[in-house]
Amino acid sequence: MTVSFILNGEDVSARARSADRLSDFLKRAFGLSGAISDCRCGHCGRCLVFLDGRLVTSCLVPAFGVRGKEVVTFEGFAQTADYIDIAEGFKTAGVESCGFCSSARCMAAAALLERRPRPSPKEILEYMSCAPCRCTDPEIIVRGVQTAAEIRSRRLYRRAGR
Amino acid sequence: MVQIATVRSPVARGSVRSIRFPKLPTGYRSILPADIPGRNSIVSFGAEVPILAQDRISYQGEPVALIAGPDILVLEELAASTKVVCDEEEPFFSWESFSSDQVVAKRVAVVGDPDLAFSIAASVHEGVYTSDAIEHHYSEPQGAAAAYDYDKIAVWCATQWPYHARDSVALALGCRAEEVSVRPTRLGIHLDGKLWYPSLLACHAAVAAVACGRPAKIILTREEDFRYAPKRARSSVDVRTGLGKGGELSAMDVRIAINVGAYGPLAEEILSQAILACTGAYACPNLRVEGYVVSTNTPPMGAFAGLGASHSLFAVEAQTNRVASAIGEDPADWKSRNVLRKGSRLLTGEALREDVPYDAILDRLVAASDYRRKYACYELVRKRRSGRTDGPLRGIGLAFANQGAGAFLSGDLSNSYTVEATLDKDLSLRIFTSAAGGAGGVREVWRGIAAEMLGIGLDKVRIATPDTDQVPDSGPSTLSRNVSIVARLVERACLAIQKRRFREPLPLTARSVHRSPRPTSWEGGQVSGSPFQSAAWGGAVLELELDPWTLEPKPLGVWLCVDGGRIVAPRRAASALRSGAVDALGACLKERFDPQASPLAYFRHGLIPLEDLPPISVEFLEPGRRVQAKGIGELPFDTLPAAFLSALSQAADHPFSSLPAPPSKIVGALGGK
Repeated sequence: MTVSFILNGEDVSARARSADRLSDFLKRAFGLSGAISDCRCGHCGRCLVFLDGRLVTSCLVPAFGVRGKEVVTFEGFAQTADYIDIAEGFKTAGVESCGFCSSARCMAAAALLERRPRPSPKEILEYMSCAPCRCTDPEIIVRGVQTAAEIRSRRLYRRAGR
Repeated sequence: MVQIATVRSPVARGSVRSIRFPKLPTGYRSILPADIPGRNSIVSFGAEVPILAQDRISYQGEPVALIAGPDILVLEELAASTKVVCDEEEPFFSWESFSSDQVVAKRVAVVGDPDLAFSIAASVHEGVYTSDAIEHHYSEPQGAAAAYDYDKIAVWCATQWPYHARDSVALALGCRAEEVSVRPTRLGIHLDGKLWYPSLLACHAAVAAVACGRPAKIILTREEDFRYAPKRARSSVDVRTGLGKGGELSAMDVRIAINVGAYGPLAEEILSQAILACTGAYACPNLRVEGYVVSTNTPPMGAFAGLGASHSLFAVEAQTNRVASAIGEDPADWKSRNVLRKGSRLLTGEALREDVPYDAILDRLVAASDYRRKYACYELVRKRRSGRTDGPLRGIGLAFANQGAGAFLSGDLSNSYTVEATLDKDLSLRIFTSAAGGAGGVREVWRGIAAEMLGIGLDKVRIATPDTDQVPDSGPSTLSRNVSIVARLVERACLAIQKRRFREPLPLTARSVHRSPRPTSWEGGQVSGSPFQSAAWGGAVLELELDPWTLEPKPLGVWLCVDGGRIVAPRRAASALRSGAVDALGACLKERFDPQASPLAYFRHGLIPLEDLPPISVEFLEPGRRVQAKGIGELPFDTLPAAFLSALSQAADHPFSSLPAPPSKIVGALGGK
């Protein structure tokens, strides 16, 4: 079947098989490998995407389920100002992940900051649990998200002032 | 490129009678043991593991055939509909009591006269400590790819041991090792789960690439990885401790049983490491230790953040805490009286050359955690408590351990490893090593050492791509060898360059080689040798509270103090210890792999939620700049389990002795108490 939807801001359509998961479909039809289909049961969080603004694990979404919807993958998210804030915050705080969970961590942080611009350490750790990884140093992660929150607030404040 | 799906054995023990493939579409082909042009096995630490099981099946899920083709979804369907007909035999799963047929390796060591010492001991204490298998849950699933590269076979895989993968593929293809080039891909956090298994998958990929004449790739799904890839070995350690009249440690009798599953690829090494660690950090004049490695029909099990020492260290530390409590003494004081001192005799017969920094570490831990006051308070509350809801159910535990880094004890490895460095004309340095950097920041340590030695900027130091064609064999990246041996080799190579720097023209190349000075030998119950190049010491305190209704243990704080020699990158070292502590806590609280559980266990398995974590404090002793850097990565796994068990036992007023300890186990143990 042909699935038409908005992918990273562009109208796209491609043929999907009935058994396709969104994560596999994105890779096969569009060459996007940011959403990694790893555990295939929604545990690992490596395949996070924004679906109509909500953070979802794309391995649990059937490809035909995005018809008419908007999908933002890590590749699209990496072009936004939110990503730049988070990347800078993580770098400043010294967040050094193994590299396999980085994209999911950034997207989880963005979803959290959208809901809670000044999150508490507990809220940060709750959100970051959606991308569990052995490389986790909780102290650095909290510091990274809090730094990103400050950078983001400053940017939004500057933009509102204009 | 063709993808590969694995056809697996449906039974745990037996022999293969036939394999019936469905009709394969055009472009798809099956690969059987007969299609392997060379040897159908890989060798790991002396043990042989079949690349594809031909006759005998040793565990459920063992690879018996491969199917290669362009579409992974089609391949998965084809593999699922392939019928493997086996003559099933009764499998061995029991391991705590085992038959002699199941013993893969056995070692015995005796020091002094333990029988006499026990007969005159003032008190004797016994405990049995068990720990379950654990899933590594590495950052990326296991996989490999292979392709012809002109006259060579190139293999890509995330491995801790590129030269092992190269030699295994060469044997499987029946070609010379120089005709295979292993190009390691990025390695995430592996916890020693990628030591030998990537070599097996590299062989699968290489055989498929040769059979199909096209590039081939195999990537295990997380579910396959969870169910069939190696795990941490299960262990049971019986410890009998004899004390003198003053409470001093006079004798120990230790029996170690380790279940390594099928084939036991690391059996001897794990056993040797476990035996050498069986007295922990304590001086014991009379000792008998018997160690058995037992094979069962479960997937191969073995290394996990170290190669076996943590099994013994967990048991001996938990036992010392229990013994001290039994004689009414604070475990911190008992440990202080019995800890090894400079000149103490080790199990290998050699004298300890350095003092053990127990007192310095304890002082730091006590100051940071308020251990002594809390321990006394919780003991008082425990003794006076009349029921579960009578006062807070809190406990605090202390553990102390060492990490002897870098040495292999089974003697099957060449123990000769090399690092090369080249200072180029633009004053940039390239370091050539096959050691896998991983995600722990060890590359920063190498770069930091080299930059400091040669007085050049950090940005001028590069680590060459660890392609086996380009870099020398630096051995497997385990046992913190990247810090304890490779870092030292980098330092020596830089020193050699420094000496020649203004005497010879650039570029300058230097090579440094590590050879184990005295290999360990085990003869007639006596162990000898000088296996450890350096020992790091560390202590941990863990405080927890039990929910009075659900009995769920909630850690309140973790404090670690480490003497790791010279800490080259303190922030990264502290971060690595904190993430190690998180993983160790997960192993204490919930992580468990049961090879006989239903396939649905995969969906229930997970890491510890981050919001459940307590604050984790890390401190380092400052030994001065002249001291060598030491491996410290295993210390959270060596200390925290015992600290957790002691804290839990104090909080629940019940002697717990096995990990993990989820609420269901605590409820079962306490009953209506």
